[in-house]
Amino acid sequence: MCLGIPMQVVEINQFVARCTAKGVERDVSLFMLQHENLAVGDYVMVHVGYAIQKMTEEEAHSSWELFDEMVRLEEEALAAYQQGNKPNA
Amino acid sequence: MSLTAADWLHKIHELPLSEPVKVMNVCGGHERSITMAGLRAALPKTVELIPGPGCPVCICPEEDVYVAIQLALHEAVIVVAFGDMLRVPVNVGKRDIRSLEHAKAAGADIRPIASPLEALQIAEQNPQRQVVFFAAGFETTTAPVAALLMQGIPDNLSLLLSGRLTWPAVAMLLETGQARFNALIAPGHVATVMGAQEWQFVVDQYQMPTAIAGFTPVSLLAALYSCLRQGLEHKPFLDNCYPQVVTEHGNLTAQQYLQQTMTVQDAPWRGIGNIAQSGFSLRNSEHDARVRFPDYAEPARKRAGEMPAGCDCARVVLGAIYPNQCRLYGSACTPRHPIGPCMVSDEGACRIWWSSGVRTFEPSSAA
Ligand code: SF4
Repeated sequence: MCLGIPMQVVEINQFVARCTAKGVERDVSLFMLQHENLAVGDYVMVHVGYAIQKMTEEEAHSSWELFDEMVRLEEEALAAYQQGNKPNA
Repeated sequence: MSLTAADWLHKIHELPLSEPVKVMNVCGGHERSITMAGLRAALPKTVELIPGPGCPVCICPEEDVYVAIQLALHEAVIVVAFGDMLRVPVNVGKRDIRSLEHAKAAGADIRPIASPLEALQIAEQNPQRQVVFFAAGFETTTAPVAALLMQGIPDNLSLLLSGRLTWPAVAMLLETGQARFNALIAPGHVATVMGAQEWQFVVDQYQMPTAIAGFTPVSLLAALYSCLRQGLEHKPFLDNCYPQVVTEHGNLTAQQYLQQTMTVQDAPWRGIGNIAQSGFSLRNSEHDARVRFPDYAEPARKRAGEMPAGCDCARVVLGAIYPNQCRLYGSACTPRHPIGPCMVSDEGACRIWWSSGVRTFEPSSAA
């Protein structure tokens, strides 16, 4: 629940922005970033559908790498788990 | 050039550490990065990383989950809740309904959501129905709930709020002498919203090394290195190792929404009891599900407010024991058949450890 995901703004419609991260598009609320002057192309840290902070492109990319790595590790661990423990483990 | 994780590890190994250092984190996201990247095994023997109170689902009051289940069963409502909450078990008799998931299977209208915006959508799509948003979470989740209220919600949407603040749990551990740690890695996204200065008390009142970290191994190792160095030099300070998004005062707009819609009060944590100034309550009763619907709490229930029988989650959450020190870990309790909330939630230390393949673990300075 607490995992924040950096996303890039592709379209702004008042307080809602169309944002993308690694090919996935979502509507994100900008209501908590009203004090920021956000523009298309900016990066934001998104938490449960709300942008909580503006961030740099560089930081967004390093978080995405971490995300990929975690998904890979999780899949590996899951595969090992399922192999080692047949049904019902 | 910025340093890589390997560089940081090298720097950490170069430090003249002789005394054991125990560093607690208070964020499920931190614990996941640490465990999945295998950082514990890569550190010097004298350094211990302790998972602490970082899982809002784990400490969400058992009574609140019970009330959400009863509302779903006895009122003609749609209950929406963050997905993790659906499998959290309450303490009821063997034949009673013990989780939201269980209630859903019995026909109750319960829908998992990933964002407060989805709660709004569901309420708008069902104007003739009452929708109850069971909103459990720490500051990072409760601030968006406050934003939702500020923007205005339809009449048929109400909140069963279970929001908690993170720092009061750390303060409680330090104040009561239960702290098993002597350095702290503070949560990056909580600090993003609430400001770095919320953690200054750890340094000022307890002279404890403290660093705010992001979620990459590099950021976590930088924070760890900072804590270790602060300790060696006996010069604790609050080090912001996540300056990319964390500022001294945080997101003031978000804090303003929290202040306008909620108050902060003493509040119960599951299996732990009341923690001073640790819970959010709604200022206005208009959209408060606790006011709108009859009170279904049954405090006289056996084990009300407690963890499930045999489950040591409360001590895991407080950093008193490691997940594998619970005797049910991996035997009776697995992600597929969770006994306690720490094995249910993606942010629970038990689940993170088990699904990352941790089967045994010997803390270097074992108690
Ligand atoms: S292993 Fe299961 S029973 Fe034991 S503390 Fe963790 S969640 Fe509770």
